[in-house]
Amino acid sequence: MNMKKTFITTCVRSISLLVAFVACAQSVPPSLSIQIISQNTLNGVAGDFVTVQGQITNAGATTLSDVTTYLSLVDTGTKLPVDLEDWSAEKGLYIGSIDAKQTLPLSWKIHFVKAGTYSLIIVAEAASNEVPQVSVITHFNVAPKKNLNPGQVLPVALGTPIVLLCILFVLSYRRKVDG
Amino acid sequence: MFTHIWKKEIRGELYTWKSLLWLLISSLLFSVTCYLLLTNKELSLLDQTELLWLLGKVIIGVALLIVIVDASSIITIEFEKETAESLFISPVSLTDFILGKLLAVLTLWLAIFVVSIPYIIVASAGSNLAIPFLLYTMLLGTLGVLGFTLLVFAISLFFRSSKNTLTTSLIILLGLSIPAVFSTTLKNDVVSQIISRANPVDNIFSSLDNILVDYQTSLIQNWQFIVPLVAFCLLALIILLFAMRRFQKHGVIQSE
Repeated sequence: MNMKKTFITTCVRSISLLVAFVACAQSVPPSLSIQIISQNTLNGVAGDFVTVQGQITNAGATTLSDVTTYLSLVDTGTKLPVDLEDWSAEKGLYIGSIDAKQTLPLSWKIHFVKAGTYSLIIVAEAASNEVPQVSVITHFNVAPKKNLNPGQVLPVALGTPIVLLCILFVLSYRRKVDG
Repeated sequence: MFTHIWKKEIRGELYTWKSLLWLLISSLLFSVTCYLLLTNKELSLLDQTELLWLLGKVIIGVALLIVIVDASSIITIEFEKETAESLFISPVSLTDFILGKLLAVLTLWLAIFVVSIPYIIVASAGSNLAIPFLLYTMLLGTLGVLGFTLLVFAISLFFRSSKNTLTTSLIILLGLSIPAVFSTTLKNDVVSQIISRANPVDNIFSSLDNILVDYQTSLIQNWQFIVPLVAFCLLALIILLFAMRRFQKHGVIQSE
């Protein structure tokens, strides 16, 4: 009977501690936050450049050091991450330290390389934070470039070898005539 | 005197079925590539910039292959047909001889470039990239062709045989081309990056990528690719000068 009482007491205490911890965790907001200033959805044609703008804020009371921000781009069609090589010259921005209550601007020039739909997030990490902070998603709708004109290629693809062939025959004929 | 050899080569090589057949083959290759890229359902989904980059790689790749095959025989044929001896009895210096042959090879490259112009214009219609594409194909192709030709001439003077020169030259071209088509994710380590920086084929392809995909069209934005290409040409020239010195020391008729 005594053991049962002890077990119930321990369970109640554990649950109380857990609830207190969760409540405490929810009440303390993360010190680092990223806001996107540019539009949530950016549209364009393959080859266009757009700028994603945001700002990073240290809402905490202490200075955060070794802050790094980087981009994460996902092709929502294939559900696969995209290699940023041609999309952005700067894949990450090392910010260093941010003072308490300080806000710094972030700006990325993005090159729409391939048609499709994509989602981009900005991730921020600080040395003292175990959990990175992420921005809201910016959606990219990239339309294919329509100036490819297959109709133009046929005259060139057929015409150039035919012209060369004609030159070949003329030269051959002239060589024969010249002896 | 070198202009005499150049004109002789133009008449003998470029004014024949054989050399024009090279141009016809390159034209057919460009036609097939261009037609497939623009009309094939899956390939035409490539964005225009990537399509242009692919076409640029095909143009310069085909040109390098044709020029290397031509350069491999243009000097060695004089030894194999035993015309070298009589040629050097006449007042023709080795420098004039090499310079005349070099101009003939560069003329072949120029002819291939002229053939590629309609394809470049058609493929880049509406992109504002036609002029940079043309100019940089000319510049990068000329540097690549010049470097490889000087190197092949040096190999020709070492071997004096078409078969050995051609085999060695093609192995060098393949050895430099294969790493150049690797994706950049395979070039993340320091050794790969150093090889990539030094590889002339890699520099040509990377510069085209920089111009056509990233719109970095000024010379300053491409110096990191052009400087290694110029260095490659200088290195090939040094090797050729060494080969010429060795050739003069050994004489036209090489003792066994």
